[in-house]
Amino acid sequence: MSDRKLPRLLQSPAVILLLIWMLIPLGMTLYFSFIRYVLNNLRRPEWTTPSLSNWRGFGNYEFVLNSKDFLFAIQNSLLIVCSILILTVVLGVLIAVLINKTFPGQGIVRVLLISPFFVMPAVNAVLWINMILDPVLGLQGIAVGSINDMLDTLRNAPLVGWFFSLWPELEPISFRATQTSAYAVIIMVTWQWTPFAVLIFMTSLQSEDQQQKEAAVLDGASIWSQFRFLTLPHLARPIAIVVMIQAIFHLSLYAEIEIVSRGNGNKNLPYLIGEFANNNIGAASATGIFAVILANIVAFFLLRMIGRTLME
Amino acid sequence: MGRIQLKSVTKSFGDIQVIPPLDLTIEDGEFAVFVGPSGCGKSTLLRMIAGLEDLTSGDIEIDGEIATEVPPAQRGLAMVFQSYALYPHMTVRKNIGFPLRMAKMAQAEIDQRVETAAKSLNLMDYLDRKPADLSGGQRQRVAIGRAIVREPAAFLFDEPLSNLDAALRVGMRLEIGELHERLKTTMIYVTHDQVEAMTMANKIVVLRAGVIEQVGSPLELYHKPRNEFVAGFIGSPKMNLVKGSEAEKHEAATIGIRPEHTDVSMTDGAWKGRVGVAEHLGSDTFIHVHDTGLADMLTVRVNGDISVKHGDTIYLTPQADQIHKFDAQGMRI
Ligand SMILES: Nc1ncnc2c1ncn2[C@@H]1O[C@H](COP(=O)(O)OP(=O)(O)OP(=O)(O)O)[C@@H](O)[C@H]1O
Ligand SMILES: [Mg+2]
Repeated sequence: MSDRKLPRLLQSPAVILLLIWMLIPLGMTLYFSFIRYVLNNLRRPEWTTPSLSNWRGFGNYEFVLNSKDFLFAIQNSLLIVCSILILTVVLGVLIAVLINKTFPGQGIVRVLLISPFFVMPAVNAVLWINMILDPVLGLQGIAVGSINDMLDTLRNAPLVGWFFSLWPELEPISFRATQTSAYAVIIMVTWQWTPFAVLIFMTSLQSEDQQQKEAAVLDGASIWSQFRFLTLPHLARPIAIVVMIQAIFHLSLYAEIEIVSRGNGNKNLPYLIGEFANNNIGAASATGIFAVILANIVAFFLLRMIGRTLME
Repeated sequence: MGRIQLKSVTKSFGDIQVIPPLDLTIEDGEFAVFVGPSGCGKSTLLRMIAGLEDLTSGDIEIDGEIATEVPPAQRGLAMVFQSYALYPHMTVRKNIGFPLRMAKMAQAEIDQRVETAAKSLNLMDYLDRKPADLSGGQRQRVAIGRAIVREPAAFLFDEPLSNLDAALRVGMRLEIGELHERLKTTMIYVTHDQVEAMTMANKIVVLRAGVIEQVGSPLELYHKPRNEFVAGFIGSPKMNLVKGSEAEKHEAATIGIRPEHTDVSMTDGAWKGRVGVAEHLGSDTFIHVHDTGLADMLTVRVNGDISVKHGDTIYLTPQADQIHKFDAQGMRI
C-alpha cells in the first residue's frame, strides 16, 4: 500500500458519512420534487405514498412557478436578507469601532451588547411584536400616544398653539399589517444579529497594527481616512465572514415570520415550503430545490462583491 | 530647514517618570543618533518629537517655533518605524503616494514624485506589488520612500534596521548615510547598536534611563567619554574597566583602557594573565585574558596573525597616553 493510500482509507469513513448525511436528504428532496406526493387526497389515494409510478416530471416545478406566492416569496427573501445584512454590517462596524477604545465600564457595555444574541428567535419575535412594536400596548403605541397627548396640550397653549395645530396627529404603525410585517422581521433580526457582527469585528480590530495607524497619523490621514484606508480593508475578511454566515441563516428565517403575521403579506421561501408541506410534499420539495439554487446564487454574488469592493 | 530643540522636556507614564527634564538641540542638517540600552527612553523621546506622544511638561521647538501643540501631521516630520508600518492593502505605489494623497495633491504630481522616489530607492520593479510580497530590505526602502516624498523638515528613524540580517543592515546603513548626504535634511536616528551610531552620526546622544549622559561627535565620545557609562557603551569590543590598587596608581577610582590600546607580549609586560577564548576575525584577533587579578576578564585586540592557545601565559601593557581615568562617581578626571 503506498503511503498516500492509507491516510485516504482512514479518512474515507468520515467522508462517506458526510456524503450520506448531505446526499440522502438532497436526493430524497429531488425525488419527491419529481413525483406526485400529497399527504391527504380522498379522490386519488395512490398519491399519498411516494412511488415512481406517480412520476410528474417538472410538473411540481411548473406548479410552484405558477403559484401566486412564489415570486413574491423570492423577492421577500432577498429583501429581508439583504436589508439585515446591510444593517448589521453597518451597525456592527460602527459599534465595534466605538467600543474598541478603552473607557470606564467597558466590560459591562460589551456584555450588554452581546446579550441579544443569546435570546431565542421565537422569544425575540414575541417580545418585539408585542412589547415594542405593538401599535397600542407596545412601546411604539405608548410613545406615539404620549407624543399625541403632548401635541394636544400644546395646541391649546396660548401664543404657540396655532403653530402646533398645523401639525398632524401621529399614527402608530401596525407591524402586523400586510405591507409592514417584513420590516418588523428585519428590525428584530437586526437587533438580534448585530451583536454577532460586533463580536467578530471587535476581535479583528484588536489585531489591527497600531504602528500603521501612527504612520497614517504622521502622513496626515484624518480619522475618516484612517478608517477608510486602514480599518475598513482590515475588516474586509471579517465582513465577508459575517455576511456569509448571516446569509445562510437568514435565508431560512421562519419563527419570526410565523409569529409576526403567520406569513400574511410576508413570506419567504422556507415559509412557502412550510405552507406547501401542509399537504403537497411534491410542491414543497420543488420549492426546496429552488431555495437551494437561490442560496447558491446569493452566495456567489456576495463573495464576488465583497472581494472586489473591499480588498482594493 | 529642520532645527529641533527640546526645552526641559519631561515624560511620565502614570507615576513613573521615564524622561526627567531634558534639553537638547539638533541643528539643521545634522545626523543625530540617540543611542542607549533597551528601555532608556529613546523611542519615547523620538515619539514625543514626532507628536505621537504628549509631553508631560516642557516644549519642543521646530525651526524656532513652538511645536508642542502642533498636531503630528503638521510638524513636517516623517518617521520610519521599526516594523516598517506599511499599509498592507495598498501597493507599493499607493503606499509611497499616501501622504501626498492625504495632502490632496494632484494625481499627476503624486505619480511623478512617487516615480522619482522609487527610482532613487531602486523600487521601480516593485511598484505594483503589495508589501507582503517584498523582502525585508525592500519593505524598509518603501518605508523610506514614503518618508522622502513628503520632503519633510526632518526624518525620524526608530531602529529601522533591527529587523534585517547583518549583511543587509550594512548595505542599508550606507544607503541611509548616502541619502543624508544627498538631501542634507536633518535626521534623528534611534538605535541601541553602537556600531550604527558610530558609523552614521554627526552627533551621538547617549541616553541612560532618560538622562543624556553625553552629546558629541563619534570621535569625541570615543576619545573623551565623559563617564564610565559612555566609556563602556561606545567602542567595540567594550573598554576594560579596572578598579583597585592599579587604578590608585593613576590617582583614580577606576581606569579604563580600550582593547586596541593594549600592547601584548608573551614574555614580559605590566600585567600577567592567562589566555581564555581567542576570537579570530581575520584582520583582528580579540583575546580574552583571565587571572590578571585586575578584573574578571580583560579583552585585547591584536593583529589577526597572532597565534595564541587557550591557557597560554600572556603579558599586557596599557599604552600610557590612552588610559581613561574616572573618579569614584564614575566621572572623567
Ligand atoms: N505606553 C507606555 N506606558 C507605560 N510605560 C511605557 C510606555 N511606553 C514606554 N514605557 C516605558 O518607558 C521606558 C522607555 O521606553 P522606550 O520604548 O522609549 O525605550 P527604548 O529606549 O526605545 O527601548 P528599546 O531599545 O527596547 O526600544 C520603558 O521603561 C518603558 O517600559
Ligand atoms: Mg524603542
